[in-house]
Amino acid sequence: MWLTVGLGAAPLLSACGDKGSASIEGGKAPYPLARPSHPVTLSIKDSNPPIDDGLEPESGGDFKILNYSDYMAPGVMKAFGKKHNVNVQVTPYNNYDEMLAKIRAPGESFDLVFPGPSVLSKMVYAELLQPLNHSYIPNLANLWQEYQDPWYDRQARYTVPYTIYGTGVLYRTDRVSEVPANGYDLMWDKQYAGKVYILDDLGEAIGMSLLRNGITTDINTGNAEYVSKATDSLIELIDLVDVKVNINAYSEIPEGTATVHQGWSGDAIAGQYYLPKGVTPEVYAYWRPDEPTERVIGSDVIAIPKSAQKPVLAHLMINDLLDEKIGLQNFGWNGYQPPITKFDADFLVKEGYIPKNIMNAVIVPEDFDSGLTFYEVSPATEALWRNNWSRFKAGA
Amino acid sequence: MPDPKIGHDRETRRLWPALALPGTFWLIALFLVPIYAVMAVAFSDRINLFGEPIPAWNPVDWQFGTFSTVLQESVSGIYQEVWIRTAIYSFWALVICIVVGYPVAYYTARLAGRRRGLVLALILAPWWINYITRMLAWVNLLQDDGYVNKFLGLFGFAPHSWLNGSSFTVVMALAYGYLPFFIIPLFASLDRIDGRLLEASRDLGVNSVRTFWAVTLPLSRLGLITAIVITALPMAGDYYTNTIVSGSPKTNMVGNQIELFLLNGPQKNLGASIVLLLSIVLVFFMAYYLVLTQRASRDTR
Repeated sequence: MWLTVGLGAAPLLSACGDKGSASIEGGKAPYPLARPSHPVTLSIKDSNPPIDDGLEPESGGDFKILNYSDYMAPGVMKAFGKKHNVNVQVTPYNNYDEMLAKIRAPGESFDLVFPGPSVLSKMVYAELLQPLNHSYIPNLANLWQEYQDPWYDRQARYTVPYTIYGTGVLYRTDRVSEVPANGYDLMWDKQYAGKVYILDDLGEAIGMSLLRNGITTDINTGNAEYVSKATDSLIELIDLVDVKVNINAYSEIPEGTATVHQGWSGDAIAGQYYLPKGVTPEVYAYWRPDEPTERVIGSDVIAIPKSAQKPVLAHLMINDLLDEKIGLQNFGWNGYQPPITKFDADFLVKEGYIPKNIMNAVIVPEDFDSGLTFYEVSPATEALWRNNWSRFKAGA
Repeated sequence: MPDPKIGHDRETRRLWPALALPGTFWLIALFLVPIYAVMAVAFSDRINLFGEPIPAWNPVDWQFGTFSTVLQESVSGIYQEVWIRTAIYSFWALVICIVVGYPVAYYTARLAGRRRGLVLALILAPWWINYITRMLAWVNLLQDDGYVNKFLGLFGFAPHSWLNGSSFTVVMALAYGYLPFFIIPLFASLDRIDGRLLEASRDLGVNSVRTFWAVTLPLSRLGLITAIVITALPMAGDYYTNTIVSGSPKTNMVGNQIELFLLNGPQKNLGASIVLLLSIVLVFFMAYYLVLTQRASRDTR
């Protein structure tokens, strides 16, 4: 028991005394919820201005990055550290909940963070991020036009895009003989029992079930009945196929631990680097819905925390990551595509980054015109999804 | 001339409470304060921007809505199965600990002779390696093309999927992980049994099996109970063992549910409520243990 209490108390205590400690009532968000149809220009307060133009970059000491693990090429970080005489450090997280807990930890500071549109408005409202000074980021011009002024952050005031990806299903071609028209059905197929994985991400998992079962294509729904139905269908997977959850499709599929794994397009592309010796990329494939309006797509962004100790360097690193050469080096390592205009499917295949059989994992600008995206939702909707997810996790 | 004896008494009178100071400090700082923090979170009804409970430090503000929901869901709702599973897994893991651990402790205490130091060192050897590392080693052994299946294949058994959310694997892993914790206190208790009592039993013409049942077992009862308690408490709150060897919601224990709420999301009031419930359940068993030990020490007197 003491063990349990001890483990429980640490995160509890860290939850106290944070910046965004104002209480919210009635399940409504006090910050704007961005939608492509209702773009948001995030406000800049006098108390939290961007850095001045033309400052000298800091040097010496640590440069601290808060990021998913394996999400930035070690070579890129090493070169940056050498050039600017800093020690680049990564603090990893598995999901945004963990990221938010770490960035809000009292006394902690980070120079760079990688959130997404689904948590952005909240983070700006809680003053966790600082506005960007574009004079340090000329490479912004390398990006797709729509990403220089995205709907979730008009004028790219706080963020620049990092990667774009789709969500689909990775599967082993040597074990799956036929892919049904609705590829999600692969996960509800008893013959793959014990080797079926879904993403350890409540949005992606429940959202996928909403789509698979044709409940709704609104993957941000606040309809309790829909979310509950989708969760029931996920719970079926527990007995049907002994479903497991993690976010490691990029290694589980090539190594063969998994036969079917819900995964991001970046996992499909990175999978080629995790193949055992002598195995070719043809051993697995990636499925996404054919219909563009049924495809789930997403993007991650780069931002600078308000607590940054080296904000000038942080701007320089952002500019580096949007550089065509460094961006390509980074992509060649993590498999996640940056929305750099030059990196279209033909270019990436020609450069040898995408095996022919997973061409469909490359994201194109049109995907974003019609695809489905996870938005920032109201606290009430978030609680609804969380409660259902915990029902699934209880294995009931 | 002051009586030196009185001065000594006065000193010891101050010394004894002073000896309790570190323990008292430990108890307050690392148990009472955290448990109060857990209560402040569990009984909070206000959430912040990030959906996290704002701790209600003042007991006047305590609201029991979340706690009673969690209680209800534990008795007859979505967490019911998690509790039952935790109880069943802990129970069977304990049975295995007893079946395997008792003979080992008995051998070490009574029969190992000069090799006793070596046997003890071997029992403690797993502690030289980090718990998580040991569990990960099992993942290697138990995977589909791992050594366990290869070995079974020698006898014509088809490969078995050990790591697919199997309750059996979780129970075995728990028993394996906690076995040393079980053996050591039991060994200490068996070791203390006066050999002359056993000789007396034999001198009275009782065979060794009956000596065991009539003398050794009753005298080691307290050690056995202590060993059970020491293993059962952490087992009930364990979450990493089954995360590593199973990872399936099918085998989720109470510890996993707590982990989900406390480490993987903002709903810490739900997690804190389960922590409190688990503590209450375990305190109940702990109290039973205290009653038993009291009774046992009275009996031996």
